[in-house]
Amino acid sequence: MKLLLIEDEPFLLDEMEAYLTEQGYRCEKAMSFEAGEDKIALYEYDVVILDITLPGGNGLTLLQMLKKQHSEAGVLIVSAKDSLSDKLIGFNLGADDYITKPFHLEELNARVNALVRRKSFKGNSQIIVDNLTIDPVAKTVFHQETLINFTKKEYELLLYFIINKNRVVSKQSIAEHLWGDHYDMADNFDTVYVHTMNLRKKIAAHTGIDYIKTVYGMGYKFTSA
Amino acid sequence: MKLLYKTTQNFLLAMSVILAVAGIALYLLLRKEVTDEITEQLELQAELVADQVAQGKIVNFPLISVSEVSADFPSNKSLGDTLIYDRLQQKNEGYYYLTLIKKVNQRNYRILVMTSYIGWERYYKTIFISFLGVALWMAFFGILINYYSNRKIWRPFFLNLENLKQFSVRSAQPLQWHDSTIAEFKELQYSLKDLAERSRREYLALREFTENASHEIQTPLGIIQSKLDRMSQLEVNEEMARCIVQAKSGVERLSKMNRNLLLLAKLDNQVYSEKQLVRVDELMQQHLEQMEELFSVRNIALSKDLCPVTIKSDRYLCDVLLSNLLSNALRYTSSPSEIAIFLSEQQLIINNPGAALDFSSEHLFDRFTKSANQPQGTGLGLAIVHQICVLNGWTIAHTYRMGVHYFSIDFN
Repeated sequence: MKLLLIEDEPFLLDEMEAYLTEQGYRCEKAMSFEAGEDKIALYEYDVVILDITLPGGNGLTLLQMLKKQHSEAGVLIVSAKDSLSDKLIGFNLGADDYITKPFHLEELNARVNALVRRKSFKGNSQIIVDNLTIDPVAKTVFHQETLINFTKKEYELLLYFIINKNRVVSKQSIAEHLWGDHYDMADNFDTVYVHTMNLRKKIAAHTGIDYIKTVYGMGYKFTSA
Repeated sequence: MKLLYKTTQNFLLAMSVILAVAGIALYLLLRKEVTDEITEQLELQAELVADQVAQGKIVNFPLISVSEVSADFPSNKSLGDTLIYDRLQQKNEGYYYLTLIKKVNQRNYRILVMTSYIGWERYYKTIFISFLGVALWMAFFGILINYYSNRKIWRPFFLNLENLKQFSVRSAQPLQWHDSTIAEFKELQYSLKDLAERSRREYLALREFTENASHEIQTPLGIIQSKLDRMSQLEVNEEMARCIVQAKSGVERLSKMNRNLLLLAKLDNQVYSEKQLVRVDELMQQHLEQMEELFSVRNIALSKDLCPVTIKSDRYLCDVLLSNLLSNALRYTSSPSEIAIFLSEQQLIINNPGAALDFSSEHLFDRFTKSANQPQGTGLGLAIVHQICVLNGWTIAHTYRMGVHYFSIDFN
């Protein structure tokens, strides 16, 4: 999987590149409008992560160029502007997703993952971790041949953990992923705790393995070989 | 006191003083002139009488008397007035008399001449009445002229004043000025125009600044957050872990506050002027489903009574309004308890049991007002709700009765 990251903030770009590379993507970087323009013209990518405000031009112009080339690349817009009109313009121009700064890298990864699955497998991809098989279309989880019954939120939580496996996922990040960032929960993550506990119990009951570890007060980590 | 009354009052006061002084002066001058003239006339008469006596004629005129007196009679001249009965009018009339001693042909004669005069009383009365008349007419026309011309002159001033009262730096329309021909008013108008334009420019700059600042802050926040995420992947001891968690929570709060400030700035900038038809009950239902677990974990039951309601508003703002109200209820509800939501064509009511406010309720919808017990809040949620209501022409009210908070929004 080849990703192009177009972002003018070097620290953020490094962090995005580091994490997405860890996840097994081949990442290329562009830090300006011109650099992005060159890369888009020369190479094919599976996913383009695109910042709107760039030195030298507007990211939306790059999006238009991509679409003119009939590129198959999925486009995830990253913007400091949490504005509905920007979002709508982006979607109208053919962007697939929109994420607002500041974001959690796990969230970015989850979005990229969803985009890749949607693009390359037309959604028909199964995610397999050890003996767990997840069907993202039917939203079901099987252990060997047994269906494990999860609530909607538990399923989403499990998927989030698996996509970000071997990484400490913070409670804030989980809360935002599951409930959106518009409910101001103010550091009250009891709900995250309860859901994670239920998820752990259910998985452990079926598989006998507790995949999810608590990491001090920082969050949880889904570990698998 | 109105300027118009004040000037009229001053004018009337000055006019009465001037008229009174002029009246008294006229009376005194007239009296002196007339007295002098009468005295001269009487003296001349006495002289003529003396001439006739010298020629040996017997002087016998009415109002004149001549009598011979002894040589040592004191020869003083005296002027005075007296009353004489007027048979025709059957009343006493005032007369002036002059008596003097004249030596004619070595003999002493006492000559008395008299003439009638209009009583000073009457002079006084005539002057008073005519001046009073003048005063009344002048006052009447003065007030009339003052009133009408002033009204005409001051009209642009009052119209501009009325405009100025309506003026708000927020309103997009420039002020309409009414021109005047008066130099001072023109000057005032120019100054006001300038002032209004300048404050509006500065307000716009400030607004733009808020929006830009909020945008610019997002990226550094993103860097901090991603670096903290990276740090939490490392093997760290418990103390370090605590520091990272606290730093993250700070970043989280800052980022939320920033986003809320940005939203407020946009509401102020009236970015959301488009209105669609929004099904409030469906929107509410979506939120309640989404928040279901958040409530159940806190042992909060939900009772809802939602009528199908369609309103005209911006969909995104309705979304924000409902999520902010529900977040507020979620956070400040005591647990276990029950939150009740009623939605009708006219209004939306959300009641939640909870502790009384620890600040004055009139500040509830102000920016950055928050309970001392919940310092993690941004204090902007309800300010945003209020602003959205203002923008849509709805009224929001909060009451606290018997341990329950009632938030009601009136859609009309």
